[in-house]
Order: sequence, then C-alpha cells, then structure tokens
Amino acid sequence: MGDDMDITGAASGAVDAFLSETNLYLAPDPVIMNNHGLEPRTAYEDECISKESDPVRLEIVRERILAGVNESFEMLENMGAAPGAKWGDCVSAVYTESGDLSLASSGGVVIFCNLVQYPIKFIRKYWSKDKTVGINEGDVFIVNDARYGQAHNTDQSMMMPVFHEGKIVAWAGATVHEGENGAIEPGGMPSLAEQIWDEGLKMSPFKVAENYTLRRDLVTFLQNSVREPKLQYADMKVKMYVCRRIETRIHEAIAEYGVEAVVAALRMNLEDTDAEVRRRLKEWPDGTVRHSWWTDGTLRENVQIKINLELTKKGDELTFDYRGSSPEFTNRSNNSLDITVKGMLAQLFLTFIWPDIPRNQGVLAPVNFIFDNPSVLKPGFGTPSAQSMMTVFTAWSAGQVATMKFLYSNPHKYTRVLAPWFNMINTFLFGGLTQHGEMVGNVCADINGMGGGALADRDGEHGCAPIFATMSDIGEQEFIEEEVPFIQIVSKKMMKDNQGFGRQRGGMGYQMVLAMRDSDAFGFMLTAMGAKFPNIPGLFGGYGCPTYPLARIRGVNVFEILKNDPASFRYSIEELMNERPFPDAQYSTHPMTLGYTLAQRGELYMIAQGTGGGFGDPLERAPADVMRDMDEGLISDDVAWRIYRVVYNKETLHVDEAATAKARDEARRERIAKSKPFDAFCKEWVKDKPSGKVPYFGSWDDKTMVHAGDPDKLHPAGQVVPPVVMAHPLQVKIDKLEAELAECRKSGNR
Amino acid sequence: MRRVSVDIGGTFTDCSLVWDDRYVEAKSLTTHQNLALGFNASLKIAYEQLGLTLEEVMREVDSVRYATTLGTNALIERRGPRVGLLVTAGFEAMVPLSRGRGYGEGLPDRQRRDLPMAQRPEPLVPVQMIVGVRERVAETGEILMPVDAEDVRTQVRKLVDNGVQAFVVSLVNAVVQPEHELLVEEIIREEFPEQLLGSAPIVLSHQVGGRKGEYARTSSAILDAFLHNAMYHGLSTLELNLRDNGYRKPMLVIHNSGGMAQLNSTDALQTIHSGPVAGINASEHLAVEADLGNVVCTDMGGTSFDIGLVVKGGVKFYDFNPVIGRWLVNIPMVHLVTLGAGGGSIARFDRLRRAVAVGPESAGSDPGPACYNRGGRYPTVTDADLALGYLLADRYADGSIPLNERRATRALEKEVGEPMGTDALGAAKLIRQKIDNDMANGIAQELRVRGYEPRHFTILAYGGNGPLHACGIANVLGVSRVMVPPFSSIFSAIGAGNMDQLHFHERSLYLSLYDSNTRKIFDDFDSFNALVEELEQKGRDDLMRQGVAPAAIKHRLELDMRYGNQLAQTAVVVSKNRLETADDLMEVLAAFSKDYGRRYGEGSQAPEAGIRINTIRVATYSSMSTLKFADILPKKADLAPAPAATQHKECHFVGHDGAMKTAFHDLADLSFGSVVEAPAVVISPSTTYLVEPGWRLKIGRHGAALFERAE
Repeated sequence: MGDDMDITGAASGAVDAFLSETNLYLAPDPVIMNNHGLEPRTAYEDECISKESDPVRLEIVRERILAGVNESFEMLENMGAAPGAKWGDCVSAVYTESGDLSLASSGGVVIFCNLVQYPIKFIRKYWSKDKTVGINEGDVFIVNDARYGQAHNTDQSMMMPVFHEGKIVAWAGATVHEGENGAIEPGGMPSLAEQIWDEGLKMSPFKVAENYTLRRDLVTFLQNSVREPKLQYADMKVKMYVCRRIETRIHEAIAEYGVEAVVAALRMNLEDTDAEVRRRLKEWPDGTVRHSWWTDGTLRENVQIKINLELTKKGDELTFDYRGSSPEFTNRSNNSLDITVKGMLAQLFLTFIWPDIPRNQGVLAPVNFIFDNPSVLKPGFGTPSAQSMMTVFTAWSAGQVATMKFLYSNPHKYTRVLAPWFNMINTFLFGGLTQHGEMVGNVCADINGMGGGALADRDGEHGCAPIFATMSDIGEQEFIEEEVPFIQIVSKKMMKDNQGFGRQRGGMGYQMVLAMRDSDAFGFMLTAMGAKFPNIPGLFGGYGCPTYPLARIRGVNVFEILKNDPASFRYSIEELMNERPFPDAQYSTHPMTLGYTLAQRGELYMIAQGTGGGFGDPLERAPADVMRDMDEGLISDDVAWRIYRVVYNKETLHVDEAATAKARDEARRERIAKSKPFDAFCKEWVKDKPSGKVPYFGSWDDKTMVHAGDPDKLHPAGQVVPPVVMAHPLQVKIDKLEAELAECRKSGNR
Repeated sequence: MRRVSVDIGGTFTDCSLVWDDRYVEAKSLTTHQNLALGFNASLKIAYEQLGLTLEEVMREVDSVRYATTLGTNALIERRGPRVGLLVTAGFEAMVPLSRGRGYGEGLPDRQRRDLPMAQRPEPLVPVQMIVGVRERVAETGEILMPVDAEDVRTQVRKLVDNGVQAFVVSLVNAVVQPEHELLVEEIIREEFPEQLLGSAPIVLSHQVGGRKGEYARTSSAILDAFLHNAMYHGLSTLELNLRDNGYRKPMLVIHNSGGMAQLNSTDALQTIHSGPVAGINASEHLAVEADLGNVVCTDMGGTSFDIGLVVKGGVKFYDFNPVIGRWLVNIPMVHLVTLGAGGGSIARFDRLRRAVAVGPESAGSDPGPACYNRGGRYPTVTDADLALGYLLADRYADGSIPLNERRATRALEKEVGEPMGTDALGAAKLIRQKIDNDMANGIAQELRVRGYEPRHFTILAYGGNGPLHACGIANVLGVSRVMVPPFSSIFSAIGAGNMDQLHFHERSLYLSLYDSNTRKIFDDFDSFNALVEELEQKGRDDLMRQGVAPAAIKHRLELDMRYGNQLAQTAVVVSKNRLETADDLMEVLAAFSKDYGRRYGEGSQAPEAGIRINTIRVATYSSMSTLKFADILPKKADLAPAPAATQHKECHFVGHDGAMKTAFHDLADLSFGSVVEAPAVVISPSTTYLVEPGWRLKIGRHGAALFERAE
C-alpha cells in the first residue's frame, strides 16, 4: 500500500467512477501526505482577501486570534494529565479551512501541530462527503495513527471544525504526547513492535464527539484498548475543551472584525511567512552542503544505519535530499515517516535558524524533500514507526549541521550559529502498577533535558531543552514520586567528562540512577541510540557527544543498603560501576535499548542525558574556561590534559600559561607530524565497502546504491529486494548457541 | 484613623498620610544610600500640608506601613551574601539545571523561542557553593536513608572554606518530613554557633514554602537567603529611624501575598513586588467602595504594563509558582502579569507583516524616546503620542522633560513611515493602534483564561501613561468604563494603607477525595481537620506574636484541587474550615466543579478520573480599618460641564481621518463633578488624561476620574 495505494485516482468514465466509489478502506491519501506545502488559495479566501487586504488590520486580527490560541495552550498545560502535557510536550493551533497550519500557540511542540494538517485534510476530503460521517458544528475528530499525520502513535490529536453561518471557516486542533496507547510495551513507544499492529491504538481520523459531547461508547472502546483508561478519558476531554476555547475566540474575532478579516488573516499569515522565508533564503549563497551521520542500532540489535543528506540551496528554495540513507527495516520500529522528518525540520527553522518567524507551515513552503521510497525515512505503509525518533532525530541533526554551514558565512543571521544540540531521548519509559494501584505507562520528563550546542564564543547550556520544543520541563521529582513507584536516587548530577569538547564546549548532560520501590509489578524500558556511536558531531573542529550506555546493578536492594549500610552507596555511575560497592550484586552495561523489563525492588538502572556538540578546536579553549570546568567538577585532570592540554597546579588550579602554550604547541606539531597529503590520506582511509564488523545499512560512496546489512551486496536505493527483515534477537542467540552446541557435540564425537 | 503608608520605589518614595478624615499625598526622591532620608523628606511634605509636626505624627499615628523595591534592586544589582546550598546528594545539579527551562523564565516568548541564544542567568549560588549531603526521604515522609552527620559536617566545612555567608538547606521531600533539614541545621549550629562572629544565617526550605517541588522551593529559599541581609539592614534602618523620631508601635511591611506583617515575621522574599501588589490591593478596596464591580488593574509606565485582577466577591488570584526576576519560586504571590509595553516601547517596521511592531524593547529613560532629545533615534509610543498632539512639549512630566517634536517626527518618518508608505502622523496612528491592541490582548488573555469576559470589567488605569491609553485599550476590549484612581501617582502607597495583616501556611499532600479506581469517597475528616488546625495554629501564632488579639484573627481555607493526575492547581476557597460530614465534602467538590467549569468551560470537569487535593492552604488574617473612598466619584447631581478649556489644539485619533479640534484642560482647573466632553486632554503634573472621541470624563476627588462611553 502506501504510495502505491492511490485511492484518489482521477475518476472518468464508469470504471473510474466504480473504482473511486468502491473502496475497501480509506488509507492515508498520498496526494495529501506528499504535500507539505500550502494548499492553493480557495475562491472564498480570494474573495475575503479582496475585501480585507489591509496588512495592519490583518495583523490585529491575527494577534487577536493568537491570544486565544495561547490562552487555549495554557489550558492544555494546566488541565492535561499526561506527563507530556504537564511538562510541555503538547500544542494547540488554528488551521485554515483547507487544513493548513496557520497559527500555532507560542509555546509547545511545532511538529505536533504541523502534522495535524494531514488528518484535517483527510477529514475534509473523505468524511465531509460521507453520509455516515459528515462534518457538523460541534463535531470533534481524533487521530493518533502516524501514517495519517502524527509524529508517532503515542501522540493524540483532536480537531474541531469552526463554523460560521453553516460553513467551515477554520479548524482548531490540540495535540498531547499522551504516552500509553496499548502497544506491545507500555508507554506508547514500543521498541519491540515488529508490525504496525504491535504499536497499539491505530486511530485513523474519526469523529469522537458530536454536539461538543464525547461519545461514551467510543471513549469506552478507547479506554478499553489502553493501559491507562483514566488518562485516555481525561485528556480527550481536555483536548476537546481546548479546541472549543479556540472556536469561541475565532467566533468572537469574526463578530468583531468580520469573517472575511479572519479568513484573510489566517491565509495571509501563511503567504507572508512563505514570502519572508523565500526572501531570507535568497540571502544564503547558492550551493550544496553534504552531511552524513549514523545511528548505531534498531533498538533490538547493533547495526550501523546511515542518514545521508545533501542540502542544496538555489535561488529562494532549499532542497533536503536524503537519498542514499538506510533502507527501511520492515520489522523494526525505528523507521521514520517522511512527514515526521519534514515536521521536525520545521522546528529546526522556527527555533534554531529563524526564531522570529511565525509558527506556521509556510516556513516549509519553499523547501523541497527527496527520499528513497521506501527507505528508513520514508517507510512503506505496513512498516512500524513507533520509534521514529531513532532515525528522525539523526536526520534532523544532519539538517542542523548542514544549515549551520550555510549560515556561517551568511552576513545576516537571525540568531547564532551553533554546534549540534544533543538529539536523543535519554530517559526511561515506565509502566505497571503504581503505589496507588493504578496501571500506568509513560515516559520520564528528563526527555526534555538535552544539552545545548556550543556557540562560537559561548559554551552550550547544560541539560536545557529538547530539539523539538522550547520551555519544556524536566520536572520536579517530588511531584513525580507521588505518582509513580520509583525514585531517582541520583536525579540531577552532572556527568563528569562527558563533554562535547571544543574551543567552546557543549552543554552537558546529567546522570540518573533510579530504583523501583513500591510496586508488585512495575518495569522500565529505554529507547535511545548512541551507546556505540555518538549521536551528534561537533562543529568546526569541536567534538561530538560521547556515547552513552545503560548501566544496571542487579541482585541488590538499594533501599536495604541505604538504610543499613548507607556509607557504601556511591553517587555516580562511574563510582558505582568501577568500585562495585555491593559485593553480591551483578554489574552490567547495555545499549540504551532495553525492552520493557519488570524491575525488582531496589535494583539500579543508570543512564545519563547527553551533551551538545563542541565548537572549534579544543586546543584553543581558554585555559581559564578549562579550569572553571575543573572547579565545577565537570571534567577530570585527565581531560584537562589529554584533550585541552592545560598545565596547572592541581591544588590551586593556577594555570601555568607558558607551559600550557608550550604543550599546545607540541600537540599541534604532533598533529602536523601525523598529517599527510589529501590523496595519501584517502588512499589509506577510504575503503571500497563497509568493514562488515557490524551490519551496515545505507549508501557507501554512491547514493543511488545501498547496503542492506551485507557489506558485499548493493541494492538500488529504494529497491531493496528482499526487504530488510531482521531476525528475532532471541532467535539469533538461540541459533548461535545451537551452533556452538553442535560444534561441541561434533568435537566431543571426535 | 491615623496612618502613614510608604512605597519606596526605585526613583521616588511615595507617602500617603491619613489623619482622621484628611488624606494627603507626597513624593520625594528615593535615597538609596539611606532610605530613611527619602522617607523623612516625603513624610515632611505630607505632614506640613496638614500643619502637623513630626513629633505629633509619630506619637499619634496608628501604624506605619512599607512597601519596598529594596529586594528587587538587590537582585538586579546582585547585592547579596555568598550563599552555600546543601541539597540531598544526587541533586547537586538541580539548581543549575533549573528544570531545563530556566533559560527562559522571566523572558518574553520571542526570546524563549531562540534556543541558540538560550542562556541561564548568572547563578545566585555558584556551582562550587552547592554540596550534597547523604540522606533521603521518600514522598510519603518515610526515611529511606538517615542523615550522615559526619558527611554533613564535612560538606559544611567545605562551604565555610569557600567563604559561605548564608546557608540554605533544601532536602528532597522536606515538606512532608522536615526532620532531616532540622538535623542539618543543628549540625551547622554545632559547628558554627550563633554567638560566634562570622556565624551565618540558615534558611531551611520547608520553612520558606510548605509545598512540594524541590527546585522551586530551593529557588525560593536561595532568594530568601540572598536578599535577607539587604532587606534586613534596609528595613531595620527604617525602623530605627522611626524609633528615633518617637514612634513606638511596630512597623509593618507589605508582603507580595497581599497582606502585611511586622519585620520579625517577614521573609525577604515576601517583599518582592510588594509595591505593585499593594496597588492591586488598593484597587480591590476601591472597587468595593466605589461599587465598580469586577476590575482589571493596569499600570502603564515607561517600559512595562502591569495587569492585575480584582473580581467581585473577594475571589483572589495568586501565582503559586511566580517568577521573580529570572527565577521560578513557589511562594503564593498575588497574580501580576507584566508586558513589555510602555511609553518608551520602541516601534519598528515588521517586514513580514508589512505592519508595525511595538516593544518589548524599550528606549528606557536614557536615551529615552526620540522626543526626549537625549540621543534616542528610534520612535516610541511617547513619540507617537506627541505627534498625535496629546502631549504638550513644555508640560510633559510637569515640565521637567522638554519634548522635541521635530525629533519625534523624524524618527517616526524614517523608521516606520517610510517603509509603511505613510507620513509621521500615519506612523504615529499605527503605533498607537498597535500598542493599544497589544495591551488589550494581554488583558483579554489574562481574563479569559480564568473564565471572565473583559467587557464585564472596569479598567483601573494608573501609572504615568495609563490614563493616556485607557480609552484606546477599552475600545479594543469593548469595556465601557475606565477609572483613574485617586492619588494615582502614589497608588501603591494607598494600597499599603489598606492592607490586613496576613500570613499563609500551606502543606503539600496526596489526598484523594474520590478514588475513581476503588470508587471510594474520602471520609477521614479527623485527620483532614487536624491538618487544617495545625496550619491555622501557625497563622494564629504569627499574628499573636505581633500583638493581634486572638478574637480578631480569622482564617480562610483554600484547597488546591485537581481531576485525575492533572498539573492544574485550582485553588478553591472553602466555605467551611472543617469537614464534618459527607455533605460538607460534596460541597467542596461542587465548589471545585463550579470554579473549574467557569475557567475551562462548563462540562470540562472530569470527576470520573478522580479528585485530589494537593495542597491545603490557610490564610490567617486580621482585618483592619480601611480608607474611605465611597464618595470618590460624582453622582448625577454633582455633574456639571467642565469650565472652558485653557487651549484648543489639533489632535489626531485612531479610526478618525483628519485632525480634530481638541480641548486641553488643567486638572487643577477642574472640580469635583466636572464633565469633560471628547475630544479632550486633561493635564496633571504626573499624567495626561486623553478623552478619545466617543468618551467623556467625569472628575472625582483626589485626582480620581471616570471615563465613560458617551451615549
């Protein structure tokens, strides 16, 4: 299905009419899903704009509606029960009658509302004419299936048409990262999903409320399908009333300024943004920038997955060409839909490049995208994508690096050039019975504490914001512990030496050491890349982030230790793992890809948030800044010397400037001594194919051909036959053990 | 009633003296080196108006009350001790990380969105001054790990070696189990007894705030410790000054909670923003006395526009997690919102919109608006007001700042007029329209998110630019009455004169009133009542310590409630302070439902998800006599046309083409009951009243005035 399933086919003649009327079911419509640009102006919009074209008046109308949207967002944050709502992973917005995102709330996650354009367009196209559905005033629709337009299935959006005199003039929408959705693992982001049916609720856009009232039968069905019926119910109500508040404000604006002014303001907001983005793009030099990066797993096995980006700017348009990226994994959940890539890149522009541009989808209108179809960034219809962050965040970071290279030499900037922001969800998902007897499944707010990238003259901010939102929150443990049966014993302590080194260093991440305390059935899972290969690079000589494993200590009840032998407890992952203070415990490290695992009381799970990339050569870092990091406990003597080459008194941290200059000079000479002509370097460094030590997915040196795990076999990109199907990791283990057993038997027989 | 109330601002010290039925106001420059000098100067101006002596005033006055910006200034200037912070080990980065979002607290949206520029403010506690102590308490209060006393000693010595001047102890879950914080305090005292020179004050987080949220509570405690010395010395100097002059009663300090207390019952943090909060308090009193109904208080100055709400029936609006400066804290503070809109707000052409944008950047007072002639090149709201004809160049700020019309015109033309294809006048109109709309949107959002409609409110407009923009804002909101309060230039001092003594005590808890899983309704009323009694007792002790008679002490019980696992904290004021029966409980649930429905829409309530109390809060207060404003506005029989204008001038108005002949009056020439018809301008030494077309102005007493839509 997917792109092949073109159900819209232009009907002409009896056969076409028959085919267009006789559908088994209405899958996502490629005509809708493949268009991230603006819908053409409708005749009514034309008429409104001809009557209301004074930009000053339209600006007043726009601000008036935006105030209403912001009001609704405040409601959403206050009323929402999901951690995602409480800690900022939500948004509300207004759409044009055609479904284009025109006004997003000033706070919240842009990608969420950017993607809601698709289900609205689906509803308009299909349900408006369908006698069994229809669109009436007071109707509210819901969606969570990413393939119809969501970032992933754990998000839920509700949409309400805004009528004026019997005609739809706009749409209101609200989205929350709800978490639990009845998937194969709790929390809504299952890494074990091998099929789309393992991903939990698959709500195509459907009407869930009429006359502003939720239909209890449908609500019950949805509650019955998830682990958190309370959350499912409460947040549906919240989203519906948020939409209703927006509707009220639009009605008031219509009453005051007239419907033409409102419709014209919503439309012109898009066109003005499109025009301004084109003007700004013209300021960039024409050219192409390339950047490739890799992720190190599928969440089930260690592999190397390439994200390949060629970013071309020509005139007033920009083209993100992701061809040559990895093929899709047909039975893994790490694939990302192309709409998710696009939505994330809208966030890149609206937060990291042009933060002054209005938050609407006009920002992407002058941007083109090219993907291999299918590929890991544009999977087929039946391919899971619940863990799209595993690849889309890498695609986003590749975009960040590439755009920063363009911006560096651009004389006019609208904010600063910076090294990559940390990009991975280094946090725990959890699920099970709480101390209050409630079944829950969700994610920790630490997802919002990604480290910031360094700037040319300033270090990055520690654990600051996720790449997908501003002003979201890492939460307060005292509130969180009230509702879930685990505690963070080490909650916020910087992760020493885990730094994106550079002339300016990246903002660092912090450690979390947690243990389940008060439940008979509760578990954790982890879904992050970057245990073997860094998630982000540095910029202009700066280092990328380090790698981050999961560390576990089993066979111990830390609560007994804290009570009876508190002195033996250590407050860092480094000390706990190196000193091994609990004699009978088992210590282990793993990739950050733990499938849902029931926790024993008091066993320790330990991870760290990530650091942003460094900017510039570490040998140019001011020794005083290195000493400040030392003084703040951020780095060790080893790093101060090995990376930064600073000579100082270890007691007083007094820098020996002359000795430092000399040491750095020597380091530079060592570099020169190791250097070689480009051709010689290539001869030694460039290989014809992947090493084969780890299965490799994606192009090597020709983006039209990709590897699908086998270093010796290439496939035309987008035409990998047979498609990539990964063996079950347990089966792999069993096969390996059986092979060993067979070998042993064979040797024994001999 | 004989009362002195003072609002010490950054520039002026305002004084209100009430002597029986006579009310006078006075102003003098704030003397930062010794606040008492400014206080004495303004008081002198006041009592001399009444023919009194200092000795008489000090001997016979009932009370002296202070609202002060001392704390705000100390924060801005970073004047404070070297604070050492002891936290639960494993939480050392809690304050530096500031919930991730600390980079954007206190900043406008546009700056928050700019992540490459994200930068947290310079910390009040350097990282080197934060230490972890080995202990842990669970959310239930259970001690998971006992305090390691030796470890505490080691950490304390480390801080002492690093030059600590004030300790903050903030341990996880200390509000449910404070034992560990008290133990750490004891150890610090053992190591560094109070009687020794160099002994440092100790602030315990659970004593600063009773609610959960380790970061916001720690942040509150840090601010408290940081401000303590400056506040203590500043206010002590004032108290000493009063004693020297013969005053023998306690000095009362205004709190941002909307109440006041003696110095010995005041935390430094409670004094921040006490001036503006006193203004809201004055508005509340005025609203009742002058029968204004619901009131939105607006204070438009040179750089900012403050909004506060006063709703009929005594509903209180608090921020339970207000941002002070750039820091999120968790003390209850009267709700106050500040927008970056004022006379100095800079206007610019917004290329994307082909429209005008105004603020939040401000030209401040130096260089100030272009018309100040001090080098400002960018057009501001004041330049627009001048170009439209509302300001007289030689009468602005009582003639202290001569305005240069030519410079205003040039700036308007160049920065806005040319790109917009209009002249200076057209630009000025656009700027005025934009700023009035922005402020109106700010008000609308504030009201509507709480379930109120602006058109049901009266705007109270004060601050230097308030009466000049009041009609414009009201036009956008559909509001039909705007009142300029009496004594508007010292309005906060008036508010200080009307406050009650008030203390808040609160406690976080996880209390399920309706458990949707078990369908069980709460019935342990005894333990609930015991907790309320404990909080009331604390409040009672506070007031009795200050000499308030037990019979005069009252309590108000507020419950922060939520449906399911929401974050929302809807503070419900409960009519009964004790729960005795299931019916009492049902009343509480009904009150919550009503308030929630009003805010978020009737039907949005979700009791099916369960109902919880997260905080119990008791406000303990003692009502005091108040100023009388009942006859502040003229009645129909008092009305008479205003005397002839002092001059007429051509002015321009938004929504009206061409110039309109506009009457200019001096406030001093107008008397109680004078009715000024539009278009008109009334000039007073401290502000300008603009009567826009469609409005009329009725003059009241003490500078009060009422804008009403003309029929």
